[in-house]
Amino acid sequence: MLQNKSFVRKTRQGRVVKVVREHYLRDDIYCGASFCKVCVTSAAKLTPSDSAILVVDTNVVLNQAIPIPTHPRFTLGHIDLLENPGIDGVVLLSVVLDEVKNKNLAVYNRIRALCSNALRKFFVFSNEHHKETYVKAMAGESPNDRNDRAIRVAAQWYQNHLGSTTRVVLITNDRENKRKAIEEGIAAETVDSYVKSLGQPALLDLLVHPPSEDASMMEVEDLRPSKKKVIYTEHKPMSEITSGLHRGIYHQGKLRVNRYNPFEAYVGSESIGDEIIVYGRGNMNRAFDGDIVAVELLPQDQWHTEKSMTIADEDDDEEEDVHLAPGSADDAPRVTNLVPGSGRGVSSVSSRPSGHVVGIIKRNWHSYCGSLEPMPLPAGNGGVAHALFVSKDRRIPKVRIKTRQLGNLLDKRIVVAVDSWDCLSRYPSGHYVRTIGDIGDRDTESEVVLIDNDIDTRPFSAQVLSCLPPLPWSVSSEDLANPIRQDLRHLTVFSVDPPGCKDIDDALHCTALPGGNFEVGVHIADVTNFVHPGTPLDDEATQRGTSVYLVERRIDMLPKPLTEDICSLRADIERLAFSVIWEMTPEAEIISTRYTKSVIKSSAALSYVEAQARMDDSRMTDQVTKDLRNMNKLAKIMRQRRIDRGALTLASAEVKFQIDTETHDPLDIGMYQIREANQMVEEFMLAANISVAEKILNHFPPCSLLRRHPSPTKEMLEPLLRTTAALGLSLDLSSSKALADSLDRAVGDDPYFNKLIRILATRCMSQAVYFCSGDLSPPEFYHYGLAAPLYTHFTSPIRRYADVIVHRLLAASLGIYKLPNIFQDRPQLTSIADNLNYRHRNAQMASRASVELHTIIYFRKRPTDTEGRIVKMRSNGFIVFVPKYGIEGPVYLTLRGEKGGGEWVVDEQQQKVRKIDGSVSYSVLQTVRIHMEVVEPQPNRPKLQLTLL
Amino acid sequence: MEYVNPEGIREDGRRPLEMRHLHAEIGTVARADGSAVFEMGNTKVIAAVYGPREVQNRSQQLNDQALVRCEYSMPNFSTGDRMRKPKGDRRSTEISLVIRQTMEACILTHLMPRSQIDIFVQVLSADGGTRSACINAATLALADAGIPMRDLVTSCSAGYLNSTPLLDLSYFEDSAGGPDVTVGILPKLDKVTLLQMDARLPIDIFENVVQLATEGCKAVANYIHEVLLENTKQLEYRRGL
Amino acid sequence: MRGIQLSLNQTQRLRLQTALELLETLSSKASLNASVTVADTIPVNYEDGVLKGHGTTELDGEVVATVCGVVERVNKLVYVRALRARYKPEIGDIIVGRVIEVAPKRWRLEINFIQDAVLMLSSMTLPDGIQRRRTAVDELNMRSIFEENDVVCAEVRGFQHDGSLHLQARSQKYGKLERGQLLTIPPYLVKRRKQHFHHLEEYGVDLIIGCNGFIWVGEHVEAKDDMVVDDQVNKSEQHSSKSKSWTSLEEQEQAYTHAETRQNICRIANAVRVLSTLGFNVTLDVIMETVYLSSSSNVEIHEMLGAEFCVLVAESEAERRSSSAKRKG
Repeated sequence: MLQNKSFVRKTRQGRVVKVVREHYLRDDIYCGASFCKVCVTSAAKLTPSDSAILVVDTNVVLNQAIPIPTHPRFTLGHIDLLENPGIDGVVLLSVVLDEVKNKNLAVYNRIRALCSNALRKFFVFSNEHHKETYVKAMAGESPNDRNDRAIRVAAQWYQNHLGSTTRVVLITNDRENKRKAIEEGIAAETVDSYVKSLGQPALLDLLVHPPSEDASMMEVEDLRPSKKKVIYTEHKPMSEITSGLHRGIYHQGKLRVNRYNPFEAYVGSESIGDEIIVYGRGNMNRAFDGDIVAVELLPQDQWHTEKSMTIADEDDDEEEDVHLAPGSADDAPRVTNLVPGSGRGVSSVSSRPSGHVVGIIKRNWHSYCGSLEPMPLPAGNGGVAHALFVSKDRRIPKVRIKTRQLGNLLDKRIVVAVDSWDCLSRYPSGHYVRTIGDIGDRDTESEVVLIDNDIDTRPFSAQVLSCLPPLPWSVSSEDLANPIRQDLRHLTVFSVDPPGCKDIDDALHCTALPGGNFEVGVHIADVTNFVHPGTPLDDEATQRGTSVYLVERRIDMLPKPLTEDICSLRADIERLAFSVIWEMTPEAEIISTRYTKSVIKSSAALSYVEAQARMDDSRMTDQVTKDLRNMNKLAKIMRQRRIDRGALTLASAEVKFQIDTETHDPLDIGMYQIREANQMVEEFMLAANISVAEKILNHFPPCSLLRRHPSPTKEMLEPLLRTTAALGLSLDLSSSKALADSLDRAVGDDPYFNKLIRILATRCMSQAVYFCSGDLSPPEFYHYGLAAPLYTHFTSPIRRYADVIVHRLLAASLGIYKLPNIFQDRPQLTSIADNLNYRHRNAQMASRASVELHTIIYFRKRPTDTEGRIVKMRSNGFIVFVPKYGIEGPVYLTLRGEKGGGEWVVDEQQQKVRKIDGSVSYSVLQTVRIHMEVVEPQPNRPKLQLTLL
Repeated sequence: MEYVNPEGIREDGRRPLEMRHLHAEIGTVARADGSAVFEMGNTKVIAAVYGPREVQNRSQQLNDQALVRCEYSMPNFSTGDRMRKPKGDRRSTEISLVIRQTMEACILTHLMPRSQIDIFVQVLSADGGTRSACINAATLALADAGIPMRDLVTSCSAGYLNSTPLLDLSYFEDSAGGPDVTVGILPKLDKVTLLQMDARLPIDIFENVVQLATEGCKAVANYIHEVLLENTKQLEYRRGL
Repeated sequence: MRGIQLSLNQTQRLRLQTALELLETLSSKASLNASVTVADTIPVNYEDGVLKGHGTTELDGEVVATVCGVVERVNKLVYVRALRARYKPEIGDIIVGRVIEVAPKRWRLEINFIQDAVLMLSSMTLPDGIQRRRTAVDELNMRSIFEENDVVCAEVRGFQHDGSLHLQARSQKYGKLERGQLLTIPPYLVKRRKQHFHHLEEYGVDLIIGCNGFIWVGEHVEAKDDMVVDDQVNKSEQHSSKSKSWTSLEEQEQAYTHAETRQNICRIANAVRVLSTLGFNVTLDVIMETVYLSSSSNVEIHEMLGAEFCVLVAESEAERRSSSAKRKG
């Protein structure tokens, strides 16, 4: 049977196009009930053991309890409830899925994951294509009404199809829909009533509460007389926002909340080419960090008065306010209007436009980790308590939740999802999702770090583990006999890694050739020999993207047997490898490059320290040491050449902890030391990566996975320039070479000066990213930091998925294997690259957060006095960097409560802050003595406080 | 984009290996020697054949075979947006050439020397697979004109989206930018006369997709055969005698 | 359904369907089963030896049809009689054609063949009926005999070695056709007969059923008149120059066709049109029967192309064939 659907669509160019699409109705769509006698039950997921078959409405999946047409709210709704194993036997109609997909892709993906989960009984019924459940829109019927009707028809069909012995319940939150359903003789319930009927209190907490209940919550929470007071201004309707944006009254942008001051946010607007500052919750008007908002500028005379108003308004929230001097917020690249002279700090603020949010175009709500604000257990109220949730992330406002297990949750870290925020309530309302663990427990806090960064810590599933080769694994005779694999066991191969490294993915060898040249080989663990495309193992690794290294633990990308044993190039064990072998002259010129799969036997797994010691110890003359020295010689030449080419030597404050083996508590903390051995290994890895990048791009121009590092723009380097200008240094930014040279010249009076400048420079750079070569043009492939036209990642396939992809590309380019199909699908490859970038960034953030966490644990018991360097100036203080511990934090000159900061004056040009009477002044990069101590200004949010001595 | 959902259903309700509805009608242009309308779903193409007839331009006359000419056009009303397109643009020139070459390969041109066969193909409504529909319509029109042919050329397209080979792409699927393989076969001779693709596909997938398109061609051939046979029978019994 | 687009209502469609189904049952099963389409294998008995005729080819030792049509077997010869195709001339066929071009010593005629047919000046009986050598003057005056777009009746003379088709008009019955309608129908609907010229006296109409599917319906012309009217070549030249300047009363009367005759012409022409639309064989009997049917059931001429009359014709044809089948049976 054939139906045509036709609709009118506006194209991007603004033309109106009529689209007619066919719509086939089928009779081979089955109900999915295993006990059905009529349908084919091979794909059935619904079993008679379910108490009822639930047909869910869209508003159950998405939270749209009260849809406001002009103001669509994209929130995570009952998806948390559906994900709970307590709910099962659910039929998802294709009409519901389509609606969900159009409104919120994240929820759609989650619901799809549920449907494909073999353990859950979620069945997708394509009602839109079923002959008997297709519904044609009636004249004058809105799409919403039509979809509601389609849902009812499908529910009815299910009831008729399965007969009266099976209970089919339509779950909807739409009163109108429920009423009609009951009229039509379909059993219908709201989510609340259904969940209540199940009698599981844990499920009840997962419910999204319609905002109508907020009024009663306010009575409990806010003991203020004006409980119906409108706190926030109403958001403008979408149509008005659109027209406002067109006319230039409103400005669209992503709202970013200041990390140090949650009452201050920035909206980067393209329309005015500057950032708009939004002061205070009132002006932010319920926008969250990351939301796309529409902002209206305030009249110019209010640009600074707004600020003081904000502070007065929000005094109930205990937060330190660091009033930012312009240009110092969150390392945000932007143009700043410099106010010359010694104008007051406050007046300089007024030169930046400020505005207020008039509407939210796209919400960035997700779930947040945090804890409940301590409160006494209420006596009655049927066990239901209202509580305020405090997120760990300071940028997120408190969230109101309703719980029946308050007593349990008070001292726990929990995850909460935000549902709604109307203009009558001070705080958004949300619902409890799950508990992580006890507050303060190190494991719990680590878990929080991982959840915050969206890192999957679940153990590998049985399906994934079934892809592993049988253990114990060893190189078989077939591997040796394989013609694609070269036997390199006779070579003296060794690996150099950090101490205690178990996932050794690279090893080296260096043989002197008769002609005076050297044969240098980089051997990389042959992960793709075990991880085959399309397997669950590969899918899992694609998702994880990278291993994550926290201070005390590692979250592997691949299962442990692969990571630590089968792939790891351990000493004295035969292992499979993918080798890049060069012939090099003693001047480190590459004469030829060869790529091959191989079998190697590492003769030593050295640590950097050991390798360094061997090289330095002139008495040692064994083969490994000699090779090391040769390699080091070559590496130095290569490094020099690279630097001459314009590669930047950047620096970051890497910190190393010594962890107590018993308690896993940090014992000592210090800067990570970089030795020559590190640089040597790094040099060869870079060379291998570059060689491989050239090879794969040559073979697969449209579908290679490369890594690029975009050149920084002038604006991005602005903070660095300001700092160096204040110090009387000039940096040449014309090219990476020029920058590298001027960085070399920037030598101050103390040894740490240069490194500090480099750290500041590093922070100004953008991140290097993976990309699909078909998406960009060759000039954009450039890697700025390495000054290499091409770069990719090849050398760490155990811990980075990008390398796995590159291994496959390289193998295909050698003709060893076929190129997997995924490479044909460029959009998919691009999405993989995006995911890798996302995972990579998150892994870095998580590592940093983990360091921060351990720093706090370390200093909790050890308040310390130390030296720090001022790196950034603020109007009421400055940011201090402590080289010894790699810590950075604000130091306040004015105490909280002393408003205005009248005493201190910031000199933007000189990057100085001085007392108004001129008695004391601090300038950037100046060394200061500080005291470090862990304080807990707000319960459950410990932080490291730095004070000036 | 999701072109095949996890339930294995395409955007328009077909499964990956299903074609759209076929419909054909013979004798739709009164004055032509042979004519046909061919529909694949919402794609509708009309073809008219004139000839064999006297060669219009003497200089083009071939003394050993018939001259085959083809003109393809796609009027403004055939697509959703009524954009004015210049006549004789590159696309229609190319498709004209494709149809001409495909048809020439199956017409027994040597039986009609010093004559000319004109094929006019016009897309009445375009929804993907116009190339295939044009060839199918032209085949029907030629058969209707009683022009001797080696075999009935039939054509069908197949694509590859979401790692799934899909038969007979609609415009929506075609505009996804994936590979679109148009295959034309001589079903009786079991030969391929047309194979077009303007994307890259690895060879093994390509084989699968071509195989799928070939299966589609065979299905079209069956349908066309039925229509023609029915038409012939009707002409015969109506004529009486 | 070709030609006229019929808009049938429900009952008409049903009636038409019943009539056509009846026709289907009446037609010989043998010929229906012998229907083939392009690329169909034709079953043959190889032991007897096979001669492959028109519309067949050999593929892997099988006889395969190259056109749609009906398989015919004559002794060893196997061929496919194509239904819808252009006219296939046979020597002696009487055809009607239209002059396309006046070339040196010849006219080119469109006769629905794969090429234009050639009528040589030499194979033409001049209007004065004199058999003589054609002079240069005759050649110059060709246009006074036939001009472009004139409708001409002629006979197939034969093929030249270069494949072109030659016609002849060596009789007074051939020549230019005036004051009537030319109809073109698919040639397979015309069967070769002894008689292709028909004078329908009761209507005062000439009906020429050309073998090439061109059918002429025109006012009856006495063969003698031709000679009287077209005196001599030079006279007719004067004649034409005269007609350009002024028209005599006599000539007006000559050129005038009575309204009744005109109506008859239209009625007969429409009868042919309906028959060809329905795909029925076009013979004199059937045409006349259709004409009687139209006048007996008081169908106006302009209504003859409508749906109702079409259905009527189909029904009467079904009846006619079934009664003739019974007679035979």
